[in-house]
Amino acid sequence: MQLEVDGRQIDIQVDPQMPLLWALRDVAGILGPKFGCGIAACGACTVLIDGAPVRSCVLPVGDVTGRVTTIEGLARDGALHRVQQAWLDEQVAQCGYCQAGQIMTAVALLEEIPDPTDDDIDKAMAGNLCRCGTYPRIRAAIKRAAGNATGA
Amino acid sequence: MTSRPIILAALVSLFAPALLTSASAQTSQQAEPVVDRERGLAEWEKVHAVFAHPRCANCHVEDEHPRWSGPHYGETRVHAFNVQRGDDGSGFGNAGLRCSTCHFETNSQVLHGPPGAENWHLAPVEMVWFGKTSAEICAQIKDPERNGDRSLREVATHVRDDALVAWGWDPGPGREPAPGSAEETYQAILAWEASGAPCP
Repeated sequence: MQLEVDGRQIDIQVDPQMPLLWALRDVAGILGPKFGCGIAACGACTVLIDGAPVRSCVLPVGDVTGRVTTIEGLARDGALHRVQQAWLDEQVAQCGYCQAGQIMTAVALLEEIPDPTDDDIDKAMAGNLCRCGTYPRIRAAIKRAAGNATGA
Repeated sequence: MTSRPIILAALVSLFAPALLTSASAQTSQQAEPVVDRERGLAEWEKVHAVFAHPRCANCHVEDEHPRWSGPHYGETRVHAFNVQRGDDGSGFGNAGLRCSTCHFETNSQVLHGPPGAENWHLAPVEMVWFGKTSAEICAQIKDPERNGDRSLREVATHVRDDALVAWGWDPGPGREPAPGSAEETYQAILAWEASGAPCP
């Protein structure tokens, strides 16, 4: 089957029931999206399909019908996406494992709500867990990316 | 000689669905529901057992939060991840965390993986019945303002044909399905209506 991932056409010959995450990581070699729980309960595997966040660890690859964007496809022409830059500026990551998923959800949130409130952030980000507890810095980075740098 | 009316009522109720079907083809005639409270209540109980079942009721909630329940969850609990109906009232979740972030068109086959069906979302706010009594749900189902502006026949058809409703009988691994089947519930609603649609 053909997938469009990060702007590239990829030919993947796998069981259509294989989770998208497996196809991305083990077949296409795109290692940015992470395996966390395997049941859509942590958000580490989050990618965008036509701009909407999905948990790729439970989505059968045969059901993918749109353009897939992973953390590896956010930067353009060598320039980080503004959300990635905000993450650096706020030094969000600790261990970093969940951060690709956190950033993908934040990108989707900001596309829909360019200037999110704390409540908007709470509602959007609650499915992306961080065992290091970087939530205050995640919030600060989202606000920075929205143009409202406040510090964590 | 008290048995004749009972037999007559039983016969009428037995054939009432057929009579209704026949009447629906004749636009000049409207079949009057046959009031048979005992039979009607028995049919309603079948319907209520489905509507009140967690596979249905857990998403017909009043307080914006769907519920989780089942053998692996212990007591019924609020859906994790701050999942909510959505600020737009749509029932499809909020920006960044739509139902469709995790719930796709098919069930995850992994235990505790997210279930899936077409058009996954919470029931509209006027159609909530989680935690309500049988009598309250019954009255609600008959009220077009609280049943999606449907006749009882349309309610029955919705139950039989809607893909998301059908998920209740095929909920994926580790979840108890709703009792009976979509077709049996459809027939029970029609039989309940034909018996005068009594409420407890």
